[in-house]
Amino acid sequence: MNPTFFAAAGFTDTLRETADTFGWNPWLFFSQVLSFVIVAFLLKRFAYKPILAVLEQRREQIAQAHLNAEKIKQQLAEAEQRHAEILAKANAEAQKMIEEARNSASNLAERKQQEAIAAAEQIVAKAREASAIEHERTMTQLKRELGRLVVETTAKVTGKVLTPDDQRRLQEEASRTLSA
Amino acid sequence: MFSHRYLFRTQLIALFVVGSLVAPAMSFAAEAAEHETLSLKATPLFQIGKFSVTNSMLVCWIVALAVIIFAQIATRNVKTVPSGAQNFWEWLVESLYNFLESIIGRDLVKKTFWFFATIFIFILFTNWAGLIPGFGTIGWGHYQPSGAFHVDRPLLRGGNADLNMTTAMAAIFFLLWIIWAIQANGVGGFLLHIFGPKGETSGFLKIIMVVIFFMVGWLEIVSILFRPISLSFRLFGNIYAGESILEAMSNMVPILSWLIPIPFYFMELLVGIVQALVFMLLTAVFTLLIAQHQPGHEPNH
Repeated sequence: MNPTFFAAAGFTDTLRETADTFGWNPWLFFSQVLSFVIVAFLLKRFAYKPILAVLEQRREQIAQAHLNAEKIKQQLAEAEQRHAEILAKANAEAQKMIEEARNSASNLAERKQQEAIAAAEQIVAKAREASAIEHERTMTQLKRELGRLVVETTAKVTGKVLTPDDQRRLQEEASRTLSA
Repeated sequence: MFSHRYLFRTQLIALFVVGSLVAPAMSFAAEAAEHETLSLKATPLFQIGKFSVTNSMLVCWIVALAVIIFAQIATRNVKTVPSGAQNFWEWLVESLYNFLESIIGRDLVKKTFWFFATIFIFILFTNWAGLIPGFGTIGWGHYQPSGAFHVDRPLLRGGNADLNMTTAMAAIFFLLWIIWAIQANGVGGFLLHIFGPKGETSGFLKIIMVVIFFMVGWLEIVSILFRPISLSFRLFGNIYAGESILEAMSNMVPILSWLIPIPFYFMELLVGIVQALVFMLLTAVFTLLIAQHQPGHEPNH
């Protein structure tokens, strides 16, 4: 007989013996295969699918949320930049307005000062004029009074009645003396 | 794995289960067990045609049903902001998804997640379910001369303490592995991946490399064919060994049968998760190695 045949037969016997020792037989084996396939199918269909779908959905939501957060961050950065630009522009405009207001105020103050100076000068001039007139009037009145007093005094001292020419001459002399 | 204190309760529960579920198809074992250690074989409970329903298969169905019902409750009213069962289920599924994605990549995980997640969740909860008191202690048996009751045909047995279950999972993975490999590389690419020369060579060296890698390819084929066997025996061996240890510890000192196994229960909790993780990781890495397109990436088994 072929030695290979004996070897194969010996191997088969060993296999059969091992299977018998461990209680392995094809029917039980196929029963267990069937059981496991059913379990795996049911678990796949009812246990993993819904959970994996939820996990996938959650993953997508998280990814979407990250995307949205990035978008919001970008929009925020843009808004901040725009805000800064607007603020800078507003600042510049405000500075310009302040400058203009300051210039305007300065001009106004200058003008008002000039006006005040002019008004003051005018008032001083008027006062001076009024004073001069008053002085003149007072001097005139003084001269007249002095003339009259000189005439009266001269008349009383000399005891004679002065003529209108004397009176006029005395008054003119007194007036000349006063003016000098 | 039985003590006197469980005798009355066990008999009542066994009678109830028999009476309500499987009484017509079952007969009580009258003969005494020939050995006191945990059997390597799962015990058939009843027949549906040529299909035998074993105690481990029953546990697999119960665990599968519990997981599916929990998943249904958790996903019945899915909310964007999760809470309660949905929160836990989401945490489990999302953690697994992210973990697998970090290992096998975004594209592959989309296609294969359902399988690896089922492998992990199913193995984990089946392993842990096997630690619930009652597994291996409720069933049909006989009184020993010492007066103790020995369960010969337990109603429930750890799902992965049955080689049929572990080989079934490994075989399904093997089939899917071939499908995913062909989908990723095509038939030619798949064969080239196994037999093709790796690395950048030219001239005469390239001819030598082609010959060498062709021969290495056959070793690779042997390695690939052994994967389902190693996967199934690793898981079966660990879980069976765990249950055997628990049984041995329970029988060591009858009066302390409630205390001695406790540290081993914690160890088995760890073994349960580690084995689920190992099975899932190995299958995921095998898939990654065959599905990745980069030339020169030698699978390292």
